[in-house]
Amino acid sequence: MGREDRGVRMSLQTLRVLEAFLENPAEQLSGADVHQRCGIASGTLYPILLRLESAGWFVSRWESIDPSVAGRPRRRLYRLTSTGLKRASEVFASFNRGVLT
Amino acid sequence: MSERNVNPVRAAGGAGLQTGLAALAHWLIHHAACRAPPELSQRLEEEWRSDVAARSSALSRLRFAIGCCWATSVLLREHSCASVAIAGAAIGPKASIGYAGEEYGFPARRTITFFLVAGLHVVLFYGLMTGLAFKVIKEIPTPFQARILRPPPARALPPLPAPQLAKPRIEMAPPYFPPTEGPIDSGDIVAQPLPSTPSGGTETLPQAASRPVLRVPGGPGSGFPNTDDYYPSIAKRMEEQGVATVGVCVSPDGRLTSAPTIAQSSGSPRLDEGALQLAKAGSGHYRAATEDGRAVNSCYSFRVRFVLRPGR
Repeated sequence: MGREDRGVRMSLQTLRVLEAFLENPAEQLSGADVHQRCGIASGTLYPILLRLESAGWFVSRWESIDPSVAGRPRRRLYRLTSTGLKRASEVFASFNRGVLT
Repeated sequence: MSERNVNPVRAAGGAGLQTGLAALAHWLIHHAACRAPPELSQRLEEEWRSDVAARSSALSRLRFAIGCCWATSVLLREHSCASVAIAGAAIGPKASIGYAGEEYGFPARRTITFFLVAGLHVVLFYGLMTGLAFKVIKEIPTPFQARILRPPPARALPPLPAPQLAKPRIEMAPPYFPPTEGPIDSGDIVAQPLPSTPSGGTETLPQAASRPVLRVPGGPGSGFPNTDDYYPSIAKRMEEQGVATVGVCVSPDGRLTSAPTIAQSSGSPRLDEGALQLAKAGSGHYRAATEDGRAVNSCYSFRVRFVLRPGR
């Protein structure tokens, strides 16, 4: 994809976001969903989502609903990419190694 | 009846507050999205509007909107630092987001905490400076302050008053004990043979009475200490002067054979004590009495005169 993921800094909040997505890697989550699972404030959450998306770890798309029919605005849904899944798994594996050994 | 009237008012007021907060949250989101990078502005506004709708309470929506404002500032900062343009969304416009490498939630919390702590310190110090310290200072009586605690500057030792040089006694010569042979009849120390001076054993011989014996009384000799060195300092301050007569018994080698005694007091116990100390210190420097030119054991007395002198 030509995106650079080496610049993603693994802060505690970033790890918590990734952890929320790794619970079910195929699941698509909106920012509100991630907030409910992680409790991260919006001021921190959206820069992280955009940062990971620009790094190629996430892809996002608009929810395919009709707002007039659903009675609410469409949501922006994020999903882990294969690269993101692999890199996030490596990150957590390295953390586990560091803890266990 | 009154409750039924009040509750709708409260409900209306609460609904008005909820509506106002919701409007404020939407305005903040719109404002934040407008400030975001142009390629992200439309997307972020729609995304944030949909996510804020998932919040239940008006306060939570307001907090979310404030967070969006902060997120915009973070994105702007990262956008200004970006060097690589990347795609922003799958169906949206391109986004250019850099990697500042910082999670701005932490600095925000740290900054707020820092200012809170700094403000508390300022309030505390202000209170101490204007309230507590002022009360403490008020409780200290001003005339009681430093005068008692200040050490007295001129009370250490009063200077000795100038001695009265007009007195005829002070004009006398200082004590001097010449190392010469013979009796001393002048000066501060004057030797006087005691009337019951025992002589040596040889003087009691009957043949000695047949011819006259040349007897020379003893006295302070060469190297005898100076009187001024044993003038008690307290006696000087009290301007005590006088003459003490000290009785001593001296061996042929000029040493005391017994402790000196005061034969006649000067009237001041301090001067008497000084005279005794002088007599003890002079042991070994006494000139023994002689009989026919031969040193013998002898007891005699001498006077020690303590006189104040100018400049001492």
